[in-house]
Amino acid sequence: MKLAVAGKGGSGKTSFSGTIARVLARDGHSVIAIDGDSNPNLVVTLGIAPERMRDMPTLPSDLLRRTENGIELSKTLEEVCDSHSLKGPDGVTLLVMAHPQHAGTG
Amino acid sequence: MHATVRSVIEVASEEQGDFCILDTEASPEHLSRGTAQYADAMLLVVEPYFKSLETGRRMAALAKDLGLERVALIANKMRGEEDLEAVREFAQNNGLEVGGVIPYDELMPGAERAGSSPLDFDPESPSVRAIAELGEKIVSNGRVVRSG
Repeated sequence: MKLAVAGKGGSGKTSFSGTIARVLARDGHSVIAIDGDSNPNLVVTLGIAPERMRDMPTLPSDLLRRTENGIELSKTLEEVCDSHSLKGPDGVTLLVMAHPQHAGTG
Repeated sequence: MHATVRSVIEVASEEQGDFCILDTEASPEHLSRGTAQYADAMLLVVEPYFKSLETGRRMAALAKDLGLERVALIANKMRGEEDLEAVREFAQNNGLEVGGVIPYDELMPGAERAGSSPLDFDPESPSVRAIAELGEKIVSNGRVVRSG
């Protein structure tokens, strides 16, 4: 199941996202958590040391290709996770869209 | 970047036991980019005050524009029956559903100060327990909210 979590800043959406990801993973489910915020904080609420994110590549646009069916990933999800994710506590896989320090890119 | 996230979610497993959780940007604007387009449901985390609920209402409208049929409010930081009543009334007036209720948890600011995840800070805290129960509900129902 794919769940998008949204809400006003300060509403607790990231704490909620991180915690629901952790409890589902702890319960034995396979969980991919994606930080789609340009100011990413999901890493902390998942219980991953933030400095581990420093060397982690964010999801770039060149993973996409245009086909007759539209735009799709040029690699399998597994390949994308192998090269662009971190494993956190309880086995949660974290993917990050952007790093906060890259001003002027995106 | 948004397009890549969208495509990742598109190909993520649809098996009931597998989960993909997308934490979106805290502005309604990102929703118009379609990042969340391939999600099965959108959970809107709201607090019991006007600006938060109003943001939730705008986001719910955008989510429905994207074609997301299942949108639910998660009532967060509830301090009592009055808070819950405010969210329920708002939900009813706007055709939304309350998919989960999380109590205000005085331990959580401490977790933030410590830079800790809520679950590691206190797995038995009221808010973490409420989220765990919601997780169990989602797993056993196979979905968050009814379609519509």
